[in-house]
Amino acid sequence: MHMRRLAVLVILGMVAVTMSRAGAGPSPRLDRNIKVGVVDTYSGPPAVFGNDALNGFRLALEEINREGVLGARIEFVTRDEKFSPEIGLSMARELVLQERVDLLVGTINSATALAISAFAREQRVPFIVWISKSEQITGAKGHRYVFSTSENTAMAGKALAHALSRRGYARFWIGAEDYEYGHAVTNSFWRFMKRAKPEVTLLGQTWWRTGEPDLVPYLTQILQARPDAAFFGTGGAGMANLLRTMKVIGFAERVPSAIHTAIDVTVLRPLGTAAPEGVWGTTDYLFYYPESPDNREFVRRFQAAYRDPPGFPAFHGYITAHFIAEAYRRARSLDRERFIEALEGLRIRTPVGEVEMRACDHQAVLPLFFGRTRRDPQFPFLMAGNLVTIPGREAMPTCEDIQRARAQGR
Amino acid sequence: MAILGQLLVGLSRAMILFIVAAGLSLVLGVLRVPNVFHGSLYMIGAFVAWTVAEAMGGSPARLWVALAAAPIVTAAVGLAVERTLLCRLYHREHLMLILFTFGVMLVLNDLVKLSWGPTYRSLVPPEGLQGAVSVLGVALPRYNLVLLGAGPLVAGGLWLLVHRTRIGKIARAAATDREMVAVLGIDVGRVFAVAFGVGCFLAGLGGALVAPTTSITLGMDHTLLIESFLIVIIGGLGNLWGALVGSLLFGVAHSVGLLIWPQFAIAFPYAITAGVLLVRPQGLLRSVW
Repeated sequence: MHMRRLAVLVILGMVAVTMSRAGAGPSPRLDRNIKVGVVDTYSGPPAVFGNDALNGFRLALEEINREGVLGARIEFVTRDEKFSPEIGLSMARELVLQERVDLLVGTINSATALAISAFAREQRVPFIVWISKSEQITGAKGHRYVFSTSENTAMAGKALAHALSRRGYARFWIGAEDYEYGHAVTNSFWRFMKRAKPEVTLLGQTWWRTGEPDLVPYLTQILQARPDAAFFGTGGAGMANLLRTMKVIGFAERVPSAIHTAIDVTVLRPLGTAAPEGVWGTTDYLFYYPESPDNREFVRRFQAAYRDPPGFPAFHGYITAHFIAEAYRRARSLDRERFIEALEGLRIRTPVGEVEMRACDHQAVLPLFFGRTRRDPQFPFLMAGNLVTIPGREAMPTCEDIQRARAQGR
Repeated sequence: MAILGQLLVGLSRAMILFIVAAGLSLVLGVLRVPNVFHGSLYMIGAFVAWTVAEAMGGSPARLWVALAAAPIVTAAVGLAVERTLLCRLYHREHLMLILFTFGVMLVLNDLVKLSWGPTYRSLVPPEGLQGAVSVLGVALPRYNLVLLGAGPLVAGGLWLLVHRTRIGKIARAAATDREMVAVLGIDVGRVFAVAFGVGCFLAGLGGALVAPTTSITLGMDHTLLIESFLIVIIGGLGNLWGALVGSLLFGVAHSVGLLIWPQFAIAFPYAITAGVLLVRPQGLLRSVW
């Protein structure tokens, strides 16, 4: 009796051990460390974003390397592309051909990301884009070797259209900075707005140059046209100018306004109280929302290491490192093709919940947070209120949309 | 009504353009130097104004002290470059002068990056100048009233300097015939230094004035430098009143263009510039060249 019980336990134990290595056999060990080549902007105004992403990446690697990946560590080298696609491309070339990195990661500049993406495809090297928001990266110009852990203009436009289509606004005005991002995000917004609510009309549109210092005449003109709502496409220092001018002339009180990233901490913190209340916006990361234990823990550790709370680039850097580590664990080798197959469809636990790397377009399925700027006496800058989560699946273009865009892009 | 309000909004930008372009035009007229780092001084003026205002914390006088301090700093920077290097190059051809001032621009811009870093800064105007007033049916930021006042003040000050002071008269003479002035036993170098200093002062003043209205950031010098050169060219090289006419035309074309055809407003000032140059290639007013 006693012996039989013991035998059953032993057998059950052996089954459990075998199950835990399901279909794997003994776990292979890598004979060298994994080397990641990071190309991003580390000088000039966009360096704020580049450094934030790198900090998130570094923080994740500390955790990952403590237990190791298949007995090896993940190392990285960085290169400054100085916000130039030409420099970025030659840096990527050097990293792949001379430094012999296993994969590439970067960059804030959409043009650089697209240039490196074309190179990565030709060299068959995986490339993960972590900040730039051009929907072309995983859309029309997507391919087997490129991935994105950042939300993009298609998702932002669709999420905002989705949210605004329920608010009874009929006549819109579009104002944007005359550059790639401005065009991409407004095109996407209007395309999905029309789809969600065919009766909306575009009263007019205004375009200004990037770096336009004085937006007062642009906004007073839009006020005079009296649209029901306005949608703006702008980023970086141009976004700061827009928000500051909106506050000064009381724009948002008179025309409800929506801007992707307007509720983002990286946008609102430098503005302090010069930012307007009541502007609708979206972002894919907020350090104070959702108030989940995972997010709180990430923020606590990030602040312990770097003092400031993490911005959206830090979040992207952080999940990129975890995607890389998990994909290698699944691939069980340094082989690039096996790494890609392992990354496709991979789901990881992140500060904002489980995130999947969609297999059909290599785009991370990130939820977007929609809310409205408001004063919070606890903070010296504006925060977002009335927050709702738009699930990634709802914000993303469908796989059929992507296939169509790629077919047209060819 | 709407057009008048919109004109007023455009005028505030025109005032900044005028102040900066007047400095550029003065240096072009008296020294015959196309100063490419003029834009960098404008940017330095904005950053210095920010630093001074931050250092003064919540003091109500912070904006005014910043507006006074920033142009003095940029004049000092400009004079340091002029006295040590530029003064040795006056006899060189224009291409060399452009290359030299271009080089200084790159150095200054990197120094700004080293001193203030890559993030943008915001200078909040004092309490009484925040928000907007409704003028002619248009929301005009209160602070723009300061700009609208500063333009005529600078124009008047420059007129007094050029027409009512000894150094101004000598500068005008040197602009026309520098050799004759030197033959008369006047130290032309000193006159040049003063004119250059005043030019750089104006660049810094423009930067300090614009600081509370916009993002103070690396790269804010680019558009302004191009616009100032265009204004100086359509106004007539070296002619201060030409700079005034040019800025008014530029600023107003821009804001009124927005009312007429918002989608293509970016092109309006440039179309006007091209039109002026087709009709009057030498500029609207007499060039001193």
